[in-house]
Amino acid sequence: MALPLKYNFRNVLVRWRATLATMLGIALLVAVYVLVQALAVGLQKSASNTGDPRNVMIVRKGSTAESSSQVSLAQLQTIRYWPQIAHDEQGVPILSADVITLISQPRIDGRGEANVSVRGLTPAGRQLRPQVKLISGRWFTPGQREVTVSGKMARRFAGFQVGDTFRTAGNTLTVVGEFDGGSSAFDSEVWMDADEARSLFDRENYSSLLVRVTDPAAVQAITARIENDKRLPLRSETEVKYYSDQTATALPIRILGNFLATAMSVGAVFAAMNTMYASVGARTREIGTLRVLGFRRRSVLAGFILEGALLAAIGGALGCLLALPLDGYSTGTMSFNSFSETVFEFRITPWLATKGMIFSIIVGVIGSLLPALRASRLPVIAALKSV
Amino acid sequence: MTLSTFILKNAFRNKRRALLSVSSVAVSLFLLVTLQVALRELTLPVESPGAELRVCARNKVSLTNPLPARQRPIIEKIPGVEGVTPFTWFGGQYQNEGAMTFAQFAMDPKETRTVFTDFKLTDAELARFQSEKTAAIIGKISADKYHFKVGDHITLNSTVYPGALEFTIAGIFSGTADDRMMLFHQDYLDDSIGTPGLVGMWWLKVKTAEDMPRVITAINQAFANTAAEVRAESERAFQLGFISMLGNIKTLIASISTVVVFTLVLVTASTMSMAVRERFRELAILKALGFRRRELFVFILAESFGLAVAGAGLGIGAAYCAYTFGNINKMTHGIFVSFEVTPRIMGLAALVAVALGILSALAPALAVARMSVVNGLKTLD
Repeated sequence: MALPLKYNFRNVLVRWRATLATMLGIALLVAVYVLVQALAVGLQKSASNTGDPRNVMIVRKGSTAESSSQVSLAQLQTIRYWPQIAHDEQGVPILSADVITLISQPRIDGRGEANVSVRGLTPAGRQLRPQVKLISGRWFTPGQREVTVSGKMARRFAGFQVGDTFRTAGNTLTVVGEFDGGSSAFDSEVWMDADEARSLFDRENYSSLLVRVTDPAAVQAITARIENDKRLPLRSETEVKYYSDQTATALPIRILGNFLATAMSVGAVFAAMNTMYASVGARTREIGTLRVLGFRRRSVLAGFILEGALLAAIGGALGCLLALPLDGYSTGTMSFNSFSETVFEFRITPWLATKGMIFSIIVGVIGSLLPALRASRLPVIAALKSV
Repeated sequence: MTLSTFILKNAFRNKRRALLSVSSVAVSLFLLVTLQVALRELTLPVESPGAELRVCARNKVSLTNPLPARQRPIIEKIPGVEGVTPFTWFGGQYQNEGAMTFAQFAMDPKETRTVFTDFKLTDAELARFQSEKTAAIIGKISADKYHFKVGDHITLNSTVYPGALEFTIAGIFSGTADDRMMLFHQDYLDDSIGTPGLVGMWWLKVKTAEDMPRVITAINQAFANTAAEVRAESERAFQLGFISMLGNIKTLIASISTVVVFTLVLVTASTMSMAVRERFRELAILKALGFRRRELFVFILAESFGLAVAGAGLGIGAAYCAYTFGNINKMTHGIFVSFEVTPRIMGLAALVAVALGILSALAPALAVARMSVVNGLKTLD
C-alpha cells in the first residue's frame, strides 16, 4: 500500500522552515539553467525567424559569412534572368543584390565600440523580407546617404536615433527611420541603399544575392545550375538553411549552460540530501509508526523520494517563475559567424520550462534517494522508542 | 576537554551533515572561481611580451575593411617606427572542419623578429620561413592538435578569399599569447588568390614607449581624409576593443556569479540553523551551566566558520588544480586558451567563504541568544 500523497505534501509544507532554503536554492539553480538555455534558444529563434522558404540565398563558394562573400556584377547579370526566379507585377525579377559591410560604432553607454552590420539592399530587398517592418520615421531613399536602423540596435549604439547622423568611411550618414526585424537576424542590422553602400565603402562587388523562386522545385534547379556552371564560383541554398547554419555563437552559451547546470546541480543535490536527512532524522518515530500501521518498507522509500521530488518540483516551478520576467528581454554579443554585434532575446519556451522542471525533479530524486533508503531501513522498534 | 575539541566534536557529531555542508560549499566556490576566471579571461586582454611597444593600425570603418598596401612606405618613414608588417586574416579551414580551428595571418616574414619579440623559434626555422614563399610557421598548440611536423604540407580553404592555399610548415613556435595561430607570406597570398594591393591591417613596433603616442597620432593624421582612413592604437587598446564587442556576456557571467554566491549563503545558513536547532536543548543546558551568550555565539560561529573554510579550501583547491593542470583548451572547445586562477580570485573566493561563515552563524546565534533557558530545555526536537 502506498503512502497517501497528501501525507508527503503536508510534510513538505509543515516543515517549510527547514525546506525553504533548499527549495529556494533549487529555484535559483533552475532559474539560472533556464535563463542560460533561453539565450541559446533565443539565438536559434532569431535564426529560424529569418529565412523564408521561398527565398534562395546565393553567396561565394567557401565563404562562411555574408560579409566575406563576393558576387560580381557579371555574375549578377548572369543569374538575374534565370527562369526559376519569380517576377513581380511589373515583370521585374524579385532579386536583391546586397552589400554587407561591418562598421565600428561606439556603444550608447560609452563603453567602447563594436562592429555593426550595414546591409545595402536593392529595391526588391525589402519585399523579400516581409518580416521587417518600419516602426518610426521612413525608409532610406535610394541614392541618398540615408540609413534605416533596427530599433534594437538604436538602443545599443550611439548616433542611431532617428534624426541623428554618424560618420563612417569619410562620409556622414543620416538616420531617417527605425525598423523592427520581427526577432530575426535583421534586428542586428542597419539598412541602406545597395549602390550607395558600394560607393561609400568602395566596393566593386555585391556580397550576396537573395532571390524569390517560382516554386519549390526551382530551388533544386538553381542549386544544380550554379553547381554545374564552372564560371560561377558560387553556392546557393535556401535562406532558411543558410540562417539555421549561422548559430555557432550558441555553442559557447550552451557549454556555459551545461557546465553551470552540472556544477550547480551537484551543490543542490548535497543541499537536498542535507534537508532530507534532517527530515528523516526528525521523523524517526513517525516512520516507526507508519511501519507498525502496516506500510511496507518500499512505501516508505517511495514516500520519501516522492517528498524530495515534490520539494524540488516546487523549487523548480518557482525557478521558472523567477526566470519568466526576462522572457523577450533583448541582449547582444558578438556573433562568431558575422563578427558583428548580434541582438537576440531570452526565449523561454514551454519545452524549456519543462526541461527545467524535469531537471529539478531529478535533483530532488537523487538528493532524497539515500535519506529515503535510510528511512525505509529503520528498525521498527528502535524507531518507535526514539525521542 | 578544551573549548576547541568541544567545537570540533560538535562540528562532526553529525558527520554526514558536516560532509554534505562542506561539499556544497566546495562545489559552489569551485563554480565561483570558474566564473570569475572566465570573466577575467574575457575582460582582460592577454599580456604578451613586447605589447607595450606594438601598435595596431586598422581601417577606421572596421577591422574587416582592408587597407591599401601603399600605406606601408608612408608608415615606415614616420620617426620612431622600427618595423611594419601587414597582418591579413586568411580565415582558412583545415580539411572539412566546420568551425574555425586556428587563426592564420599573412604577414611579412622579414619582420617576424622586429615586430614580434615573443616568438620562440629557432634561427634555422626562421631562416626557412623567410626564404620559402609557401612557408608558414604555426603555434605549438595547433601543431600538437593536428600532429603537424616541420616539413608537412597542409592545405587550407579560405573563407575570405576564393580558393585554397598549400603551405609548407617551416617552424613551430611557442611563447606567444596565442600559440594556436599560423603565419605565412603576404606575397604568397597576393600572388595566388588574394587581392593584390590590399592588406588586412598593419602591425608595427615603435622604438621606445615614449614614441608610441606620437607614432599613433602621426599614423592617424597621415591617412586622414583619404579613401582609407586608419585607426592606430596600442596593442592593448586594440585587444580591449575585442572585449567591448563581447557585449552583454560580461554582465551575464557577473550576474550568475552573484546568484551562485546568494544561493550558497542561503543553503549554508539553512544547514547551520538545522544543526543548531537540533541541539537547542544542549545549548540551553550550557546556558544553565553559566556559559554566556557571547561564548555560545563563539561556539556556533567557530563551527560554521570551520565548515565554510574547509569547503573553501576544497573548492578553491580543486579549481586551482583543475585549471592549472588540466587542458582548458580542450575542455572549452578552444574558447579559452589560458585559464589562470589568480591569487586575487582565490582571495575573493576565500573572502566569500569567510563572510559565509559569519553570515550563516548569525541567525542561529540570534535564536540561541533570545531563547530562555526554560524553553530551551523543553525543546524536544
